[in-house]
Amino acid sequence: MTTTKVSVNVEWLSACGGCDTSLVDLHEKILQLFDAVQIQHWPLITDIKERPKAKIGLISGAVRSQHDHKVAVEMRERCDAIVAFGTCAVYGGISAASLAHSNAEILDRVYVHNPTTVGGAAPKNTVAVLEDKVLPLDEVIPVDLYLPGCPPHANFTFEALAAVIAGRVPKARDESVCGRCKRTMKKTEVAAIDSGYAHPMDPSLCFLSQGQICLGSVTLDRCLSPCTEVGAACTGCAGPTMQILTEPNRDLRTEVAERMSLLTKIPAAKVVETMEAGAKSHYAYAMATKMVGSKPTFLIKKWIEKIEATT
Amino acid sequence: MSVQVTIREEACRGCQMCVDVCPTKVFTYDDAAAKARVSGVEDCIACLSCVYLCPSMAINEAGYTAVKNFYRDLDFSRRMERFL
Repeated sequence: MTTTKVSVNVEWLSACGGCDTSLVDLHEKILQLFDAVQIQHWPLITDIKERPKAKIGLISGAVRSQHDHKVAVEMRERCDAIVAFGTCAVYGGISAASLAHSNAEILDRVYVHNPTTVGGAAPKNTVAVLEDKVLPLDEVIPVDLYLPGCPPHANFTFEALAAVIAGRVPKARDESVCGRCKRTMKKTEVAAIDSGYAHPMDPSLCFLSQGQICLGSVTLDRCLSPCTEVGAACTGCAGPTMQILTEPNRDLRTEVAERMSLLTKIPAAKVVETMEAGAKSHYAYAMATKMVGSKPTFLIKKWIEKIEATT
Repeated sequence: MSVQVTIREEACRGCQMCVDVCPTKVFTYDDAAAKARVSGVEDCIACLSCVYLCPSMAINEAGYTAVKNFYRDLDFSRRMERFL
């Protein structure tokens, strides 16, 4: 590692804190990191309010409020390189589910007409005014590097930081979650979509082969596939694969449908229909970014209207 | 230079989609290992069907001339270069 320490500012916007906490998952490697970097500002572990000038700025979280916006702009001014750290900063993350509703509707649902609140009123002295909609970091400031993941696995974080500090290109595969999954994909006679909750599933067989929707094949591996190992299908938290992001004619639901229809007897159209009905969940992590939200095939408002009309 | 096709073995889930989709039968299926193998690379026409279909994105092709994808969003593609 270098003898002069690299200065780093870490900042969170609208985030859960998971990305910051995942930095601690570096375990002993964090000592190597601290040999090389000087942490100057990190709300999770320090009480330093100022943001001094730094070489690297790590920002997690989406831009949801005007405060987030201001902080992001200030970080850009103070840091030479900005890393969008985690799915929320890269794509907008789960708070993008709010895109389906207006701010007024959301405030009304949370504070006034909430099933567990009686006589509620919207707060008058808001701490931070909400932006009109959720924005990924690069809609507000130029971003130098992106590290998606919810949170990114410590292996990727360490490699990314080590590479940035050493000024080299990081080693990162663009494989999907299936690349690390231990399950085998086999062709089966399954003819209907399975929720996966009604009966025990085969723990060694691919979810798609068993008729359960899994986003593993359309999700970038920044996690080392822990969920499928413990029996949970991939929900796509690290965002879509490169081919979906770069090519407008490729989409999460059509790619899952194509592969699932090749593995099972379930027609592709049925998979597409099911995924559209659950679009708020299936597209949750990345719909705020224009890379997904502006696709001509992405019609979430229409899908939600369709569901609301039938319920 | 001729086309080279490689599969990262650990990432292969054994689905056989590449075996089925390939128009020139470049792949064979190894039953014992439950993995796809590259067996006829000299026939590869670099259509990239396998590369796009592979659920793991485990297939790599090199040594072919790429035709510019007219529908690809160049701005997004440039952004991809900065993904860690």
